[in-house]
Amino acid sequence: MRYRDENKIQAIRECAIEMVAKEGLENFGINRLAKAAGVSPATIYIYYKDKEDLLTSISIEEGIKMTQATLKDFDPKMSFKEGLWVQWKNRAAFALDNHLSANFFEQLRNSTYKDKMMETITHEFRRAMGDYVHNAVTRGEIDEMPLEVYWSVAFAPLYSLIKFHNEGQSLGGRKFKFSEKIMKETFDCVVKGLMK
Amino acid sequence: MNARSQNKIVMQHVLIFKTNIATAQARSKVAPLLDQQPFIEKWTVDMEDVDCVLRVVAAEPVPDRIIALINASEYECAELED
Repeated sequence: MRYRDENKIQAIRECAIEMVAKEGLENFGINRLAKAAGVSPATIYIYYKDKEDLLTSISIEEGIKMTQATLKDFDPKMSFKEGLWVQWKNRAAFALDNHLSANFFEQLRNSTYKDKMMETITHEFRRAMGDYVHNAVTRGEIDEMPLEVYWSVAFAPLYSLIKFHNEGQSLGGRKFKFSEKIMKETFDCVVKGLMK
Repeated sequence: MNARSQNKIVMQHVLIFKTNIATAQARSKVAPLLDQQPFIEKWTVDMEDVDCVLRVVAAEPVPDRIIALINASEYECAELED
């Protein structure tokens, strides 16, 4: 009789995230995962019926983790500036603490798993973000604009800093380390650009 | 009721086998036999895997019966050990 072993599941999950994050999906398979995780392929098959099932299940769990982290202490009724700062802090903390998880999503983004990943971005998350922007427009804090324009100004600068940090360098090989001070400086420029 | 028989009621048994069910055609040959068994809740074959792993969720821990069923369809089947 086999019992569900949470430690083993955790090891399999972490190993899968790391493998996909570092090497992509192309060479990913149950047998390679089993070797890397130090379990037998049979053990993985106890929990997942195949590679698709495993990747789907992990991306759903990671997606939920990410949305929960992003919505922590956030309220769509917040003033635009306050809400955006909470978002920046949450997103930075998640991306920095879950570097592998972020790369895992990046790999899936370019794959057939994209649709399943998108489903995991919950209704709650979309609504919170939508309401927040709508409230800011209604209060006259920001202009109405296409989502792409909004995201490119509101969040892309933050992800740019995180990317520099992860690579350890910015432009022309300049050494770079992320800090709250740098984040705040960038944030102030973004808020100036977006708010009326 | 002892612990063991309690487990029998609440636990599902996941049985894992190495097979040579490598194609959709092969799969369709074993499908009717597996589908007919009341003790088999669900089953899948990972045809992408080198071992064509057959995964059976069953109400009873009876690997030998599964092996007999697959062998009866003239396919190979052996329990994959942990």
